[in-house]
Amino acid sequence: MISLRRNKKSVLFASVVTSVALAASVVPANAETGVSSSEIKLGITVPMTGIAAPGYNKVAPAMKAYFEYLNANGGIYGRKVNLIIKDDRYIPQEAINKTNELILKDKVFALVGQLGTANNLAIASKVRLGSRKIPSIGVLTGFSGFADKKKYPTTFMSFPSYAAEGRIIGTYINENLASKTVCLVSQNDDFGTDAAKGFTAAGVKFAEHVKYVSGTQSSATAQVWIGKLVAAKCEVVVLMTVSSATAPVLAVANAAGYKPQWILGSVGSDTTTLKLSLAPAGIPAAQAAALFNGAIGLSFAPDPSDTTDEYVKLFREVNTNYNKGVEFDNNVAVGMNYALVVAQALRAAGTSPTRAKLVKAMESKGSTFASIGYSPMGWTATSHAGHSAFWFGKFNLAGELKPLDAARTLYTTDNNATQPVTKTTAKRAALPAKGIPTNS
Amino acid sequence: MHNLSTKKVFALFVIFGWILLIVADRVDELRVYQGATIAITTLAIASIIILTGYSGQVSLGHGAFLAIGAYAAALSQTYWQSPFWFTLLMSVIVTSLIGFVLGFAAGRLSGPYLAGTTLALAVGLPTLANQFTFLGGETGLVYDAGNPPARFGEDFTLYKWFFWISAFVVLIAMFLIRNLLHSRYGRTWKALRANPTAAQLCGINVAQSKILAFTISAGAAGLSGALLGMISIVAPSAFPLSLSFTLITGAVLAGVTSLAGSMLGAVILVVIPEIAEVISTSLGESEKVISNLPGFIVSVLLILTVLFSPNGPAESIRKRREHHQKAKH
Repeated sequence: MISLRRNKKSVLFASVVTSVALAASVVPANAETGVSSSEIKLGITVPMTGIAAPGYNKVAPAMKAYFEYLNANGGIYGRKVNLIIKDDRYIPQEAINKTNELILKDKVFALVGQLGTANNLAIASKVRLGSRKIPSIGVLTGFSGFADKKKYPTTFMSFPSYAAEGRIIGTYINENLASKTVCLVSQNDDFGTDAAKGFTAAGVKFAEHVKYVSGTQSSATAQVWIGKLVAAKCEVVVLMTVSSATAPVLAVANAAGYKPQWILGSVGSDTTTLKLSLAPAGIPAAQAAALFNGAIGLSFAPDPSDTTDEYVKLFREVNTNYNKGVEFDNNVAVGMNYALVVAQALRAAGTSPTRAKLVKAMESKGSTFASIGYSPMGWTATSHAGHSAFWFGKFNLAGELKPLDAARTLYTTDNNATQPVTKTTAKRAALPAKGIPTNS
Repeated sequence: MHNLSTKKVFALFVIFGWILLIVADRVDELRVYQGATIAITTLAIASIIILTGYSGQVSLGHGAFLAIGAYAAALSQTYWQSPFWFTLLMSVIVTSLIGFVLGFAAGRLSGPYLAGTTLALAVGLPTLANQFTFLGGETGLVYDAGNPPARFGEDFTLYKWFFWISAFVVLIAMFLIRNLLHSRYGRTWKALRANPTAAQLCGINVAQSKILAFTISAGAAGLSGALLGMISIVAPSAFPLSLSFTLITGAVLAGVTSLAGSMLGAVILVVIPEIAEVISTSLGESEKVISNLPGFIVSVLLILTVLFSPNGPAESIRKRREHHQKAKH
């Protein structure tokens, strides 16, 4: 009998424990989640710690800095923008957990600048942003699939697709380096696969294709990759890698005296990230930047050192005043730029924004938004593609990307890289006065 | 629940299930999601309790079984287009089979050697996903329980659907495990854990019992892995080595011999990150603090449990009560 009573109690205890764990907190009825009369709540998950953190951990604070600048200048129709940052450590599982926190706990209106291909794919598949009608503005990945409105109805790309980048680099190789032995190092996920689609479309054949698993990049693994590249006698090596992988590859190759013609994909060619990544190995900043010297690179936006560019100039000012002590680089420029894009999207959604209105506004007006990319974004009612054109340059000793031609010719293809590469004279929208949008 | 008849225990499980459903209907989505996580973790911890708490075998790599279960379920859905219930069944069958094979090794190994073997499994297994393209690489495989049935209405959220599935499956699994542990097999494993030599002298086939415990434990872990894949992803990043350690921690916190305590362990594991966030926010939101604090709190709790309540708080409370009752008589 004692035992029976004890066991009933333990079941009751278990029930209470679970009930407490599921503590009742009924959602108050709001006009729209994450929007109040004074605030718009947005969320982002990025690697703030972990192997991919150097460089990428500057993106979200830069976005926040721009929003603080915007808030100091009136916000969005009087509402302040509050960006909540979560650390996903560049791990898809963590990205799901943190995105769930942003949606369920912090109750954000929209996600902005979610970073990483695998992370965004994991979020799309498990958090199901589309069916829950939660906008994800300007995902920081070039995976071409995110332009597919049917599959990802609320996700909007920012960068040109990796497929397009692959085809544009491939075409460059065909036209300029056809006689050389060409090799590729790429990430073994949809980032690398998407780029490979573009290279295949361009008809490039690689003598060696080194694939690495995200998170395994280090000096030790780079030794193995370089060994393979040397064995294959690669004269041109394309790196479709993140910066934390580019850094050990260039450092190990340099130490080994291996000097092919490097072609750096836009994702992993940030000079300050390279410096940060190599600092723990005792490589001085100037020496790290010099590793880029002579490498060919491409970009859809101006180099962060180009202070003649109006976007770069403004973002540098905002960085000085609202992001104190942070060195300005591509990551900061990207963060601030997509905060600017988000601000325009929020304004376009009107004075009583809803998630549905936001998505509709981005589809109808997104291609006119001011953005640092030299070509407009491809946000329409049928596609959610990002920017679409690249220019080629060569890195100098200081790690700055200087155009190969004075005209800074832009090359483009479609998001899925099915069309041949052509030159384009696309023009970007002018920066709003003081970088504060006034669109509607 | 030692003296309760199976029918009464079944009735208690049904009542508990109803309580859960009623609670799930009255809380917000975050709590429902956490509820699903608690349910899944409960089963994962229970799988360790079967193995370690009852049969006395130590596995440091139980996360590997969760991964195998999740991949088995996802593969059967991806390549055979199997219905969801069948994918769960596949997760149990495949992990049980692998557990059975490993059980043979377990029969020959003990203590640190067995722990090391299972640890190696957990370290090596996730990398396999990157070696074979059909396993989906780092991005993993799509594994989906589908949308909630339309008849539940538009307000019936995805996470409530996940919770319903998880709670239903875990309650059934826990009922079966409870009955098993109170059967002849459970008593055999206990004897084995207490003194293998004495158990052998009593006529217990030690190797066979160890293999059976490994098989059933692996099957339970595989099922929880499939459910974990349902609410998260089926990819290497979902099954890191830390998952195995977290589950062991949960089992120790719960009391490694207490099946009922597995839920307590799961609740603690889910609640700790929330507590850590509150603390780290008050400390100034340093990213390093936020990332490392949950691990620190778990470690401290683990040390305190081992020092002051080595069989877990639930077991300590039970023993204290029994001591009081004896004193009264």
